[in-house]
Amino acid sequence: MISAIYNLALTTGANRVVRGARIEHVCGDPSLGPDKDYAYGMRIVEGALAAICAPVTGPTLFDPHAEAAHAS
Amino acid sequence: MTTPLRVVHYVNQFFAGIGGEEQAHVGVSVREGAVGPGRALEAALGDAARVVATVIGGDNFVSENQDAAAKAIGGHLRELAPDVVVAGPAFGSGRYGLACAVVCRAARELGLPAVTAMHPENPGAMAHRRDVVIVPTGESSTSMPAAVAGLARLGLKLARKEPLGPSELEGYLSQGARRVWDRGRPGHARALDMLLDKLHGRPFVTEVPFRAPERVEPAAPLADLSRARIGMVTTGGLVRKGNPDQQVAANAARYHRHSVAELEALSPKDWEAYHAGYFNHIVNTNPNYILPLSFLRDLERQGRIGKVHEWMYALPGVSTPVAVSTRLGKSIADDLKAGGVEGVLLVAT
Repeated sequence: MISAIYNLALTTGANRVVRGARIEHVCGDPSLGPDKDYAYGMRIVEGALAAICAPVTGPTLFDPHAEAAHAS
Repeated sequence: MTTPLRVVHYVNQFFAGIGGEEQAHVGVSVREGAVGPGRALEAALGDAARVVATVIGGDNFVSENQDAAAKAIGGHLRELAPDVVVAGPAFGSGRYGLACAVVCRAARELGLPAVTAMHPENPGAMAHRRDVVIVPTGESSTSMPAAVAGLARLGLKLARKEPLGPSELEGYLSQGARRVWDRGRPGHARALDMLLDKLHGRPFVTEVPFRAPERVEPAAPLADLSRARIGMVTTGGLVRKGNPDQQVAANAARYHRHSVAELEALSPKDWEAYHAGYFNHIVNTNPNYILPLSFLRDLERQGRIGKVHEWMYALPGVSTPVAVSTRLGKSIADDLKAGGVEGVLLVAT
């Protein structure tokens, strides 16, 4: 599940929760301009695909933003 | 003096003194008068009612043959024609709890009022609390006196055909129906009292009990993304432009399934959001924000995922009751499974 209100998703029992951008634009951010917007959205979608390939035992947050921050 | 009301009591083989697990297979039988905890029940009922007969069933027999058992029990109840049927208390015993619920339902089929008692997490209560009147008890028979008192009180009320008030006042498990009643003081005063109790560390009882969400066993991870069929679901209220399917913007009772087989991305010319719970304008410039088709098509071309599933599912996820959401979610999941989908991205706004 990709959601900007990821805490709500986790507390209501979703097992694989991917942190989205904002409620109004979950997979991307138009303020970044077309190219960066697309790259940002792609990072979230790739994060979601990584999440469904990862074993989990209960509600778990996958945060593509945090991973990007570590990489930079 | 008026004639005492007629109570038929149900107990299992253990409380009837027949035996424990080794006797749990015994069928349905009837004894005259009160048996075991029925004597305590009769004492609690006082002069107003008496236990005219006790129906007994083995826990395994009744819980494993519910239809046959209900028929046999119903036959006895019809003959005994009581004013009320009382079953248990079953405490934390799962099969006994189920059996008590079976008895109450059999009574209701005959138009007879019935009440039972068991722990709120007894499988009998979990499965039947909506249509059986259940007095909550502790896990074990140490809570017998309180349980019997509750059964006697509600049993008499039902036998006299008095309507039951709200569960909170009458002391039975909530059946999920709202009843209007006057709490005597306005809401703001009660809320402030509750807040003061909380701040002072005093006990208080909420008027809106928290229902813990259902726990779902996590799906096994996908073994090979590059061969997997990936589906998409959105609760962002995605509709075809102009909303020709007439989906609502909140409290949806249905979802729509749309084909994306011929699409590379969602164009704002053809798709838009209709959702009362967030500002839709940004999605209306790029619907892929709530249904990531454009991204998945690129990944499909690169061979990173096997295939984008032909169907996507959309509804506005706002104000829908949990029970309806559960039904819609199950239906979507069943459809995805039938379509051979191995992984799903659900975008929630």
